[in-house]
Amino acid sequence: MKRFAPLSLGVALAALTALPASAQDRVQIEWWYAVNGRLGDLAQEIITRFNASQDQYEVVGTYKGNYEESMAAMVAAYRVGQQPTILMAAERGFMTMLNSGAVVPVNQLMAAQGYDVDWDDFIAPVAGFYVVDGEPAALPFNSSTPILWYNADQFRAAGFDGPADTWQELEQQLYTLKAQGISECPMVLNGDFQWGMLENYSAINDMPWGTKANGFDGLDTEFVYNTTGVVDQATRMGKWMEDGVLHLAGEGMNPQQMYIAETCATLIASTAGHAGVEQGAQFDWSATYLPHEAGITPKNSTIGGGALWVVNGKSDAEYAGAAAFLNFVSSPELQSWWSGETGYVPVTNTAYETMRDAGYFEAHPTREIAILQLSRGTPSDNSRGFRFGNHNQATAILVEEMQAIWTGQKTAQQALDSAVARGNDILRQYERIHAGR
Amino acid sequence: MLAAKSGSTITGGAPSRPFSALWARIMRAQQNAAVNGLKTTHFRKPGVAFWLLAPQALILLFFFYIPAYKALSLAFVETDPFGLSVIFVGFDNFTRLFASPAYRASAVLSLVFTLVQSVLTLGLATALAFATDRVVRGQAFFKGVILLPYAIAPVASGTIFAFMFNPNVGPMAHMLHAMGLPWNPAMRPLDAQVLVVMAAVWNHLCYDYIFLVAALLSVPRSLMEAAALDGAGAVKRFFTVSLPIIMPTFFFLMIMNLIYGLFDTFGLIETMTRGGPAAATNTLVYKVYQDGFVQLDLGSSAAQSVVLMGIAMAFTILQFRAVERRVNYTG
Repeated sequence: MKRFAPLSLGVALAALTALPASAQDRVQIEWWYAVNGRLGDLAQEIITRFNASQDQYEVVGTYKGNYEESMAAMVAAYRVGQQPTILMAAERGFMTMLNSGAVVPVNQLMAAQGYDVDWDDFIAPVAGFYVVDGEPAALPFNSSTPILWYNADQFRAAGFDGPADTWQELEQQLYTLKAQGISECPMVLNGDFQWGMLENYSAINDMPWGTKANGFDGLDTEFVYNTTGVVDQATRMGKWMEDGVLHLAGEGMNPQQMYIAETCATLIASTAGHAGVEQGAQFDWSATYLPHEAGITPKNSTIGGGALWVVNGKSDAEYAGAAAFLNFVSSPELQSWWSGETGYVPVTNTAYETMRDAGYFEAHPTREIAILQLSRGTPSDNSRGFRFGNHNQATAILVEEMQAIWTGQKTAQQALDSAVARGNDILRQYERIHAGR
Repeated sequence: MLAAKSGSTITGGAPSRPFSALWARIMRAQQNAAVNGLKTTHFRKPGVAFWLLAPQALILLFFFYIPAYKALSLAFVETDPFGLSVIFVGFDNFTRLFASPAYRASAVLSLVFTLVQSVLTLGLATALAFATDRVVRGQAFFKGVILLPYAIAPVASGTIFAFMFNPNVGPMAHMLHAMGLPWNPAMRPLDAQVLVVMAAVWNHLCYDYIFLVAALLSVPRSLMEAAALDGAGAVKRFFTVSLPIIMPTFFFLMIMNLIYGLFDTFGLIETMTRGGPAAATNTLVYKVYQDGFVQLDLGSSAAQSVVLMGIAMAFTILQFRAVERRVNYTG
């Protein structure tokens, strides 16, 4: 073996000197994303495909933690000039990114780099959220919306075809599942329950979350959800919790795992859960639309998930690469592949039609729920989405106050009053800082 | 370069060439000091002292003074996360903080948590150290088992505790349920607080333990034998002979425990409760992280860290002034 050592060393050296030569020609573009697990692997696969598709640019993708963590990393990096070229940020951080003064609007970037993007092709609920004054601020990429996941085996065992359309009937079904001993945990509360069970509840039932069209019409918006049906919904959640119908996973456990392991019968969570459920569930799993109040016509649900933002302060070559990558990402082929693999909504009509015409949704009916629910009816001021400054902060406060309901410290009304009062302080602070922008 | 060179000087014994001049000067200064009968060493040129202090000063500069300056400068402004618009607001961040019920609750929680944790840790560590002293066979094994948790990072032990006591799947939680206890740290604030205290005690016990074992070894055998001959039992000997002698260690550990409880339990809380439920475990340090790094409210977070800086300074003064003067080896 020893004799071969110099030879293999020579080969290794040759390989080493060869590598930088090819890497040097390529412009490196940093992309920070906020999805991990199976979704993170798929994001890496997009990068591999892009890098293999051309020889000018090399995208380097890094997982920087969840949406909040990657936003914090981005802020810290920006302050010292180490920012990435592309950042994946959540819809909750929309106003923070939009008014940051740290981004390049994507349509300006694409136009400057000579790409002709058909912005009208983006599906209405996605475009309605990301287009500000006719200009798309970020490239919609991994858009999602919450849906109701359920265990079809357990619903059948209780004598139901599937979950009911209204909260009132669903309540009876869940109590039946528990009473008949079919499931000890009829529903598990997801980590982002404020999105699936409160904000989207408000939108679907056409209730205002805040004034000024939920913040679309100005920074001087105020939260009002403590005066609407959201209070009843919070009360209902408290009651379910007390009766052991709604369970908390607790730290160390993932709510989706508890659904996949058949511990819990239902879960209200993002359509992006498809990636994990399809891989793990060993039972007849299914999903359906979110419930609504009895006697109303449900509106559309609101958009969640992430979009790709282009950060300012980078070189022209990097922007050329970023534009090429965004162009690659928004192509119908990649969009339909990404949507098919992950469960995220296909963000362009072309991608959606490509999947529909290929018969994808007949084979995978639960994949179409999100997009149909997002485009249901005519959006009202209450269902178009949420544009509140520092929404991360207001959300954290809402979650903390909601917890006070099930720890028995506050009634639903008290908790939401407090969440609104504290949330409005945050909105006023945001308004002060961003006055005149 | 500087650190590497001076390091080789110390380990190698003989000074390396570029520093031999400096070394000679130091030796001369020491000789002068001996001749003149001065207590402290004097340098003719202050430059030498400056270079000797430089490495430590640089570390302090980058890891203490600059961050402290940043925190101070942010504590008096309202700003967007990217720092592009900054409004000077004077003491507004502080008045807002002290007027906030959430912050006051967090302060009370931190105080109670730290005290309970310190008393429990120190009490248990003392009992174990006393027991170790009495163990004849397998002492090394006994010590090893108790010291083991210190090798585990707080995040790792937090994850283990969170899983073991998870109300749905945790084996310890099942045991508690079987005993008829409604254990659920996700819904019952007290359970969450108990969980954090347990993990913190378990994690920090070994630190106190090893100091106390070492201190007990330093108790003169002759005193113990004399006490035994006078008819004092093991427990009485411990309280009347050993404990007064190890008092300095005891007080040192008390301060270290308070500092640990206040500042170093972040990893445990992040992995076990995330400050919940309903802010039941949201200590001052965790709140700085939450407000600053998750929610990007930099002004308030900076004001909070300035308050914490004040607390840390108070502890340091307490340790230097009160403890080191009043506790002595003859006590």
